[in-house]
Amino acid sequence: MSLSRFLIKRSLQGLFVIWGVITVVFGLRFISPGDPANVLLPPDVDPEVRAQVIAELGLNEPLYVQYWQFVSGIPFGDLGLSLVTRTPVAARVVAKLPATLELAIAATVVAVVIAIPLGVLSATRRHQPADYGATVFSLVGISTPNFWLGVMLILVLAVQLNLFPTSQRPIGLDGIAMLLVGGEAGAAIRGFVTWLWHITLPAITLGTYFTALITRLTRSGMLDQLGQTYVRASRAKGLPETLVRYKHALRNTLIPVITVIGLQLGTLIGGAVITEAVFAWPGLGTLIINSINARDWPVLQGSLIVVAVGFVLVNILVDALYAYVNPQVAYD
Amino acid sequence: MADTILSVRDLSTRFFTEEGQVNAVESVSFDVEDGEIFGIVGESGSGKSVTALSVIDLIESPGRVTQGEIWYRNADLAEEFRGSKPEAVDGDLVDIRRLPKGVRRSLRGPSFSMVFQDPMSSFNPSITVGEQIAEAVEVQRRARSNPRSTRSRTQGYGLGSLLVDSLLPSKSYVDDESMDRAVELLDQVGIPDPEDRAEEYPHQFSGGMLQRAMIAQALAGEPDILIADEPTTALDVTIQAQILNLLRDLQEQEGMSILMITHDLGVIARMCDRVGVMYAGEVVERGPLADIFDNPVHPYTQGLLGSIPDVDDPSGRLEPISGNVPSLLDSEMPDACYFADRCPKAMTDCLTRIPEYELDGRHSVRCVLAEQEYDPADAVDSADAADAVDREVNADD
Repeated sequence: MSLSRFLIKRSLQGLFVIWGVITVVFGLRFISPGDPANVLLPPDVDPEVRAQVIAELGLNEPLYVQYWQFVSGIPFGDLGLSLVTRTPVAARVVAKLPATLELAIAATVVAVVIAIPLGVLSATRRHQPADYGATVFSLVGISTPNFWLGVMLILVLAVQLNLFPTSQRPIGLDGIAMLLVGGEAGAAIRGFVTWLWHITLPAITLGTYFTALITRLTRSGMLDQLGQTYVRASRAKGLPETLVRYKHALRNTLIPVITVIGLQLGTLIGGAVITEAVFAWPGLGTLIINSINARDWPVLQGSLIVVAVGFVLVNILVDALYAYVNPQVAYD
Repeated sequence: MADTILSVRDLSTRFFTEEGQVNAVESVSFDVEDGEIFGIVGESGSGKSVTALSVIDLIESPGRVTQGEIWYRNADLAEEFRGSKPEAVDGDLVDIRRLPKGVRRSLRGPSFSMVFQDPMSSFNPSITVGEQIAEAVEVQRRARSNPRSTRSRTQGYGLGSLLVDSLLPSKSYVDDESMDRAVELLDQVGIPDPEDRAEEYPHQFSGGMLQRAMIAQALAGEPDILIADEPTTALDVTIQAQILNLLRDLQEQEGMSILMITHDLGVIARMCDRVGVMYAGEVVERGPLADIFDNPVHPYTQGLLGSIPDVDDPSGRLEPISGNVPSLLDSEMPDACYFADRCPKAMTDCLTRIPEYELDGRHSVRCVLAEQEYDPADAVDSADAADAVDREVNADD
């Protein structure tokens, strides 16, 4: 099967998953406490006004009508209006998306850049100090909750040593891109430095668990590959050790690692809630928390749907990439 | 008599495991002559493969070659080291164990190459067969153009080169010429449509075709000695014959020697000029094929031959060797003939370590029967021998 047919097939499957998520998200409102009208109106409001608001929101309609109203707009990017601000949900979610994506990708970059060399080093120097160091690091990394890590990084590196800002995202990559388009290269470079300075601590916080995980995975995968007969055969034909390790063994080690990186990237998009809260990072996670606190159902639902779409897209990309790096997997 | 290309003397390889020291290869000696096929036969765990890996210097931690000499005939190397390492040179022969690591490594390919048991796991599943063979060609091409670098730690190809080659799409470790040579090699080992097959991945090959490709890869460096470690064990019987014929044809064409490792006496009978029988890490008997098959001295060799079914007399029962291969843990190895506890002809003289006896220059055996007749009056029951062995081991504790 060709790549394009594979992508079409997987996209259709993905649509079903997204439809399922939309339905569950729609249903969540009915099993959760709190009536939207209570959010909008003071507790002592006149029952007539209250009835009018409920009618306006369409909450009196039969369930299937409400469901149709909810679902039918989504393909056209209509996620409804926020109960609190009465502005389109889609615009608010899209505005928060860059911050979340930046953070997820930065955390992934931190993880990949540190974890893969560390895992390889650990495997090739098995039972040597470097290996023990990497093992301790990954054990600590996997066991550290990131709300604690984030707070500690802020306390030590930001507050005590004053090396990094404690929070906020004064400029994003989207803003930097705008500056570049506007021809203000100097401002763009300054903006990038500011961005890098602000994203470092959140990216480390979010990426540490992930780094530890990939280190473990790379180490064990690499050890497994180095024990394979083809590695011995490569040495028997006189191949330089650089090629034996990094062209042959590492390549096969990375096949499962890529899958995990992709899946983790998907969870990072939705799972940065705590990190974003600790660093006041204005992304989807912060939006989700705020909308839960405000009982702003449409915003919460919209955010969750966008996260689900992101997750599905990342998974399709990973599958495509997987078949590319592993010739034993055909696109079917 | 042909010249000796490889002469292994008193070679021992040990594995230092958590359970203790394992004596996988114990004082093994044998010679391989120019253009001959020398067979090593033995049961699983008798140390055949470890012997082969010791010769090609591919024993991995926790294993190590602990003693012995591996003399290899190479006039150029002998000339080069005659001054600096006189102890490692004897005429045209060099003791490769005494050569620097980089030199030993540079022998893989042009001096020794290896064919492994299972072709499916001997190729990298995610790289095309053609490229993997071309790599073997390329190593030697680069070695010829820059002999000095091949002995450095990275063989002139470090992380920097790898990065450049993987980042620039036009560059690769393997060049087109090596790719063309790989296709020629595939053709030489009888793979149809070699140009197309070179582009395919290992999982697209059948086992027999892949073993042919493995042989092509081993030929890439034009080795003096091809080590074939159970090359047909993982294959169908019909394919086995094809692979064996191919190996024999190539050996004649290329004039190389083959060190054939197998547990299959049929393969030995069909292929080999001379043979060594291994048991518990030792070569217990070696000599020309006819001597070993027609006139075996060691009861173990006799037992091996007795356990082959006879087509002419299918009614006769096979005579298996009773008991099992001993553990090779150093702490459990007796100060006796290792075969004594299973031997139908064990005598009191067997309860001591047995030297290698020369029968007639070419046939040697590690058994007291070389010098004396079996005397039932002096026999120890094999169970008694086992007890004696146990007592000995316990006494050591």
